[in-house]
Amino acid sequence: MLRPHYLDESGQVCYVVVNPGGAYLGADLYVVDVEVGDGADLLLTTQSATKIYRTPASFAEQRMTVRLGEGSRLELAPDQVIAYREASYRQNTYITVRPTSSLVMAEVITPGWSPDGASFRYEELRLRNEIHVETDGGTRLLALDNLLIRPPIDDVTGTGFMEGYSHLGSLVVVDARVDQALADDLHQLAEEFDAYTGVSLSATMDGITALVLRSLSNSTEKLNTLLGGCSGLLRQRWYGQAPLNLRKY
Amino acid sequence: MAPHRRGPTVTSYQLSLQQLCDSSLPTGAFAHSLGFETYIERGVVRDEESFDRWLGAFLSQQLTYSDALAIRFLYEGVPVVELDELLSAQLLPRQVREASVKMGNRMLEIGTEVFPSPELSAYRALVSGGRAAGHQPLAFAVVARSLGVPPAAAIAAYLFATVTSLTQNAVRAIPLGQSAGQRVLRNAHDAVAAAVERAACLTPDDFGAVSPGLEISQMRHERQRARMFMS
Repeated sequence: MLRPHYLDESGQVCYVVVNPGGAYLGADLYVVDVEVGDGADLLLTTQSATKIYRTPASFAEQRMTVRLGEGSRLELAPDQVIAYREASYRQNTYITVRPTSSLVMAEVITPGWSPDGASFRYEELRLRNEIHVETDGGTRLLALDNLLIRPPIDDVTGTGFMEGYSHLGSLVVVDARVDQALADDLHQLAEEFDAYTGVSLSATMDGITALVLRSLSNSTEKLNTLLGGCSGLLRQRWYGQAPLNLRKY
Repeated sequence: MAPHRRGPTVTSYQLSLQQLCDSSLPTGAFAHSLGFETYIERGVVRDEESFDRWLGAFLSQQLTYSDALAIRFLYEGVPVVELDELLSAQLLPRQVREASVKMGNRMLEIGTEVFPSPELSAYRALVSGGRAAGHQPLAFAVVARSLGVPPAAAIAAYLFATVTSLTQNAVRAIPLGQSAGQRVLRNAHDAVAAAVERAACLTPDDFGAVSPGLEISQMRHERQRARMFMS
């Protein structure tokens, strides 16, 4: 973890997670616990791409637990995931929000890397997000976003899966202000980009709704621009903040 | 005189299962493309071969990881209320979630009329009490289980019934000839068998794994202007 800092005057604190050793190897397990206190405002990002090297013995895994307090806000903006040849990776994220919390998370998955330049040479990628809403009356599951890519088992490149594209981006927004009009605005915005995008809403539970935007394109940069445009719209509309500029590159 | 030789008797559940899976069962399946109408609009699905490709992807991915797995877990004793919550949370494209609930609720009503059981009444009570949504694969599984249908047979029958109604819809929408539709269905036999086998090997972590292209198309259907189907 790097020293926390502030990117603007909004009071949003930024923490950067540093990937130890620069990459994940077989049987590595990273456990990340994040608690955003009542009324706190956190931006969490990574220092560089999540790289998963060959994992011949067992998969590498990240388990992340996130709890958002009343009136708190979390913007989760990690760098892209790159799985190398023969890599297996599981990322399990378990998120609990209150009906007054606000969560925005964006993620990009690349086709990976292999010495011969061919795509999708990894064994398996699993990115599973569970989002629960907690009230004093109990906890309910709002959204389950489960992505499983196994190139050796299924042809992942064609119809139904990657549709001929190479990169996949996801944006998840959980907030009481999420509604159909916002979904329509984000859809409209996404249509301006060279990508194939869908937006839809979960059911509403205890007054809070999840919006999921899924997008296919051909580069990390294109998807970062698209997802950054969408999160920028939310930052501007809800907080009067400028689009995110992490100045990492 | 030698006694008349009889063939194997009809199993206790065979005709019930056939009735439950018949495309004339009024669940409203004729109104849903579950996303393939978006592929038609894009010109990606336009004939027998391209529909066959879409159907193969839909069957081996979404139908296997959501519907088939939900049926298997119900048979293995996972409480229906838990599986119902998982399906509602996992079906992120709104129209597909609503389709599952709409057809599921019809299945609950029809099941109560013709194949009543305490398990089905219990699920219906959860739905009417607002504690469950009432999803199609679960309503089907509760009825099939109460009829004594073995799990693999139930999953195969459910998958083939879904594939059949989607193919009938494709015959109308693309359009395809009736014989082409029957060839697609015949081709689907092996894929259904493979899906049943795969569903038997998956773990709870696999439940609801999505295929991005299918999901995006289902989401985009919400904004499609001219459309024949509700999903």
